[in-house]
Amino acid sequence: MTKEFAVPPVDFAGGSTAGANFQQRRVPTAPFQPPRPSSVSSSIPFMSFDAASAAASTPAGPFGGTIASSSSFGGGGYASFEDEEPLLDELGIRPDQIWKKTRSILNPFRINKTVHKDSDLSGPIFLYLALCLFQLLAGKIQFGVILGWVVVSSIFLYIVFNMLAGRNGNLNLHTCTSLVGYSLLPVVMLSAVSLFVPQGAGPVRFVIAAAFVLWATRACSNLVVSLADGGEEHRGLISYACFLIYTLFTLLVIF
Amino acid sequence: MYNNMGPQPGMPMHQGIPQPGMPMHPAIPQPSPFGNPFSGPGSGLIRSGLGAYGEKIFGSSSEYVQSNISRYFSDPQYYFQVNDQYVRNKLKIVLFPFLHRGHWTRISEPVGGRLSYKPPIYDINAPDLYIPLMAFGTYVVLAGLSLGLYGKFSPEALNWLFVKGMVGWFLQVMLLKISLLSLGSGEAPLLDIVAYAGYTFTGLCLAVLGKIIWGYSYYVLIPWTCLCTGVFLVKTMKPVLFAEARSYDSSRHHYLLIFVALAQFPLLIWLGNISVNWLF
Repeated sequence: MTKEFAVPPVDFAGGSTAGANFQQRRVPTAPFQPPRPSSVSSSIPFMSFDAASAAASTPAGPFGGTIASSSSFGGGGYASFEDEEPLLDELGIRPDQIWKKTRSILNPFRINKTVHKDSDLSGPIFLYLALCLFQLLAGKIQFGVILGWVVVSSIFLYIVFNMLAGRNGNLNLHTCTSLVGYSLLPVVMLSAVSLFVPQGAGPVRFVIAAAFVLWATRACSNLVVSLADGGEEHRGLISYACFLIYTLFTLLVIF
Repeated sequence: MYNNMGPQPGMPMHQGIPQPGMPMHPAIPQPSPFGNPFSGPGSGLIRSGLGAYGEKIFGSSSEYVQSNISRYFSDPQYYFQVNDQYVRNKLKIVLFPFLHRGHWTRISEPVGGRLSYKPPIYDINAPDLYIPLMAFGTYVVLAGLSLGLYGKFSPEALNWLFVKGMVGWFLQVMLLKISLLSLGSGEAPLLDIVAYAGYTFTGLCLAVLGKIIWGYSYYVLIPWTCLCTGVFLVKTMKPVLFAEARSYDSSRHHYLLIFVALAQFPLLIWLGNISVNWLF
């Protein structure tokens, strides 16, 4: 009970009738193919899956049209490329805020805590990559080491702060990591500077490193104490913990 | 022996504040350390009050686990109630124990009908966990610094130093715990022992700092540190031991205390010898 299919004649050098049949079979037929307007005939074949958006977006160029058509195949989504969110916004990276926060760390004597109120991790990641880059320029490949140390030290500071502050301590880990990361800026600058300090100047390196460590400690402890409750009377104890953290990073830089 | 007033039926039980042993009285052995409310006269009341779930929730095994956990890990918040002045004075005691003129016993106060120790802010003899934690961190950082000054620094070496410090801390805890166990029931809270063991890192930091500043001072500072740590531990463990011990066998106590003090020497010399391979 096999069905009989009309098998096309396998005749490549065949005449006009066989050739026409063969040509007809090669046309792609998608299952839900709406009738295509003839204007789309010049575009790439797979745009034919959704005619309406393709017709509207062909002026935007092939890539925009491709994104729109593939995203609207599900039926609904973004109508066109212009309505999509910018990539950085979608990722949550706000460069102007990162720049503002970084600039606030540059002044060690006046800490601007309002700008750090909503914490983000993209600035610290950027600073981490900068530190790794400068270490790479110095010949030390320490990407994993620095990342691991940042994570461990932010957990350490989180534990110490919340234990010291007691019942009303409300530092959360995201804020803690963000502050530790942003206060790495002096260490990044130290690693950039130490590329140019000659190797033999022993005490000079340590003095410069000590200055940067104190800067980072001051920034971090001031921010942590002003942003989370319960830390005011333990300022010295918390700043010693921060001092240990940044001395650790400085060891990586100067040795 | 923690609870001089017997099992208290109606009291919620999960603070785990370390109980006193009044050093003057001979220890009265009590059935359970924290006056478990789920055994003893009032337990039936509680279980019937909870209805059908009483037996299921407070079955014997969970009771055991709960009382054991609260026995082993007393509330860590207690150990972090410190302030600047306490830290300064405690460091003076740990580093120069001969100069401490006061007494070495912890002050206890009645809290809710039971006796518990005052937190570290009010009592200079109470152990805390902030100083040991910071001293350990300082030891790791200073050891890294000293490695770097001899040109042997690498992040892996620092990780091995961290592991070495942890092993040293663990060995010290074991030493104190075993000496407690061999004499009495060893019921002091674990975090207390961890805190006492961690105080040795302060002296060690001083020795490593001396080594960095001037190499030969190390050979003076290490015996000094061992001596000071030994004296500190002996003076601190004496009231704890005499409170824990079931029988009064004072010569054995003294031998054990001397052993604890002498064991500091190899331990601290091993910890103070900072090199790339962590075993020696």
